[in-house]
Amino acid sequence: MTLAAGSRLHPRLRRRELALLVIGALALTVGSVTLALTRRLASGDPPGAETGFPLADGAALAAYLAALFGAHAVLVLTGRRTDQVLLPTVGLLGGISLLLMERLPQDLAGGLGGLASTQLVWLIGSVAVITTIAALIRSDAWLRLYKYTWAAFGVGLLLLTFVAGREVNGQRLTLAIGPFSGQPSELLKVILVVFLAGYLSENRALLVEQSTRLGPIRLPPLPYLAPMVAMWALALSIVVVQRDLGAALLFFAVFLLLLYVTTGRASFVALGLVAFVAGGAVLYEIVPHVRTRVDIWVDPFATASGAGYQVVQALHAFARGGILGTGLGAGLPEVGSLPPGGIPALHTDFPLAALGEELGLIGVMAILGLYLVVIERGLRIAASAADDFRAILAAGLSLVIGVQAFIIAAGNLKLIPLTGITLPFISYGGSSLLTNGLVVGLLIALSDRGVEPPPPPTARRGIRRVFDRGAP
Amino acid sequence: MDPVVLSIWILRLVFLALLYWFLWTVVRILLRDLRAAAREPGAELGRLLVLASPGGEPAVGAAFSLDAVTTLGRDVNNTIVVDDEFASGSHAVLTYRGRTWYVEDLGSTNGTFVNGHPVDGIAAIAFGDELQLGNVRLRLERARR
Repeated sequence: MTLAAGSRLHPRLRRRELALLVIGALALTVGSVTLALTRRLASGDPPGAETGFPLADGAALAAYLAALFGAHAVLVLTGRRTDQVLLPTVGLLGGISLLLMERLPQDLAGGLGGLASTQLVWLIGSVAVITTIAALIRSDAWLRLYKYTWAAFGVGLLLLTFVAGREVNGQRLTLAIGPFSGQPSELLKVILVVFLAGYLSENRALLVEQSTRLGPIRLPPLPYLAPMVAMWALALSIVVVQRDLGAALLFFAVFLLLLYVTTGRASFVALGLVAFVAGGAVLYEIVPHVRTRVDIWVDPFATASGAGYQVVQALHAFARGGILGTGLGAGLPEVGSLPPGGIPALHTDFPLAALGEELGLIGVMAILGLYLVVIERGLRIAASAADDFRAILAAGLSLVIGVQAFIIAAGNLKLIPLTGITLPFISYGGSSLLTNGLVVGLLIALSDRGVEPPPPPTARRGIRRVFDRGAP
Repeated sequence: MDPVVLSIWILRLVFLALLYWFLWTVVRILLRDLRAAAREPGAELGRLLVLASPGGEPAVGAAFSLDAVTTLGRDVNNTIVVDDEFASGSHAVLTYRGRTWYVEDLGSTNGTFVNGHPVDGIAAIAFGDELQLGNVRLRLERARR
C-alpha cells in the first residue's frame, strides 16, 4: 500500500461524476421537501411552522450532500483516472436511506439522538471510507499476497462469533468487544471475496484443465475439490450455529458465481446448487429455525398474526404503494412500530417494503436499477482488469453487493424465504454501511488502469505440472 | 384542491422523475463506455509486456498484442523477435485455446521458464505470469478492453 505522494497531485476534473451528483442531490432535495411538507400537513401545523423533530428539516440531508461533494472534491484533487459512476450511484442510495430513516419513528434505534442522526453519522462514515480507499489504495499486493492470512482471520472471526456472539432475535450475529459491537458476517463477505480471488486466480489453469470424471459428471480435480467442500460446510455451519440463513446464502452464492466466472463451467455451479439444496433439505428437517422460515415463505397467511406477521405486513405495504406510491412520508404513520399496523424490524430488514409503499412500483424499480448499475460497473472493471486476481476480485466485490440486495429484496417480496440480511446502503446499521463503503472504495481504486502493476508472481504450486507433448 | 396537497403531489412525481433522470444519465454513460470498448481493435486475446531485455530487441516496456498463435524466437520469421544470445531461433510458441493461454517450448537450447520454473512440453499459463526466454522476461497480461 503506497500513499499518494503529496508532491504529485495532479487535479483532474470528473465531469460525469459531478453531473450525476448534481442530479442525485436535486432528487434528494425534492424528496426531502416532499417529506417535510407531507409531515407538516399530517401534523396539522400551517406550512412553515416549526415542528419539533430532532433534526431540523433538511439539515441532515444538507450534511450528507456536503459529505458527498467533499468526497468528489477529494477524488478530483487526487487526480486518478477512476470510475465516476459508483460514487453518485451509491450516494443516491444512501440519500434515499437517510430520507427513509428521517421518516420512521426516531426511537427505533440509535444512541446518537435517534434513528436518522445515527444513520447520518454512519452514512458519512461510509462516504469517508469510500473516499479514503479510492484515493489512497494504489496497489493490491497487500490483499493478494496474504490471502491465507486473511482467510485465517476470517475463520477466526467466525469462530469467535460462534463462541462469544450475542444472540439477538434468536440469531447469533453480533460480536461485542468492549463498547464496540458489530456484525462480523458483513466483514466476512469481503474477506471471502479476497480469499476466493487469490485462490481461484492461482488455480484457474488447473481448474479449467483437469477434471475428475464420475460417470457422466465432470468434477473439479480432486485436490481442488476440498476447498469447495469446505465452503459448503462453512455455509451450512453458519446456518446451524448462527441461524443466519442470509449470510450462508450470500457466501455460497458468491462462491458459486466466482467459480463460474473463473472456470466458465456451468456443471460446477449445478453441482454446488444440488449440494446446497440437499444440505438445505436436511437442515429443514433438523433445524426448527429453517423450517419456520420456509413455512412462512410457503404460506405467510396461515400465521398472519404470528410468525408470518412481518411478511404479511410487508406484502400489504407493497400493495398499498401501487404503481406510484403514496408519497414520501405518507405511508402508514405507525410503520415500523410494533403491532398493530407496522412491520417489525423495518429499518434493518424491510426498508424495501417501506420504500415500496411510499415510492411505489416505479420507485422500487429505480432502486433495483441503481443496484444493477453497481453490478454493471463492477463487471466492467473486472473485464478491463490487468490480471486474473484483480478481475475476480472486482467481479466478486460487485456481486457481493448485488447478490445481497437480491436476497433481501426477494425476501421482502416473498420470492424466496426471508433472511435477515441488510439491503446495502439503505438498511440501518453501521457494520453494513462501513463494509459496503469498503467494497465500493476498493472497486473505485481497482478501476484505475494506471495502478501499480501486479507484483511478480510467486512460484505457484502446480505450474510444474506440465502436459505431455502430443505425438512426437 | 388545497395548494399544499397539490404541490406535494407534483413534488412526489418530480422526485420519481429525477430518480429516472439519474438512471437515464448513468445508462447513457454506460452505453458510451461499452461502445468505446467495442470500437477498440477487437479480437485482442492478451498482451505481452516486456519487463527485461538486455539486448534491446524487443524494447523494455513494449507491449505486444497477441494473436491466438504467437511464436517467439531469434529468427526474424517469429511473431515476436527476441534478439538475445540465449534465445533459440525458434524458441517457444504461445497458443490460446478454450479460455486459457498455453506456452510450449519448441526444443530451445536454454529452455523457457514460467515464474522461474522450466517448461517441459506444454504448460497452461495465467494472466500475470512471467515468461523468461534467455535473458528476456515478459509478462502475460489481459487484453485492454
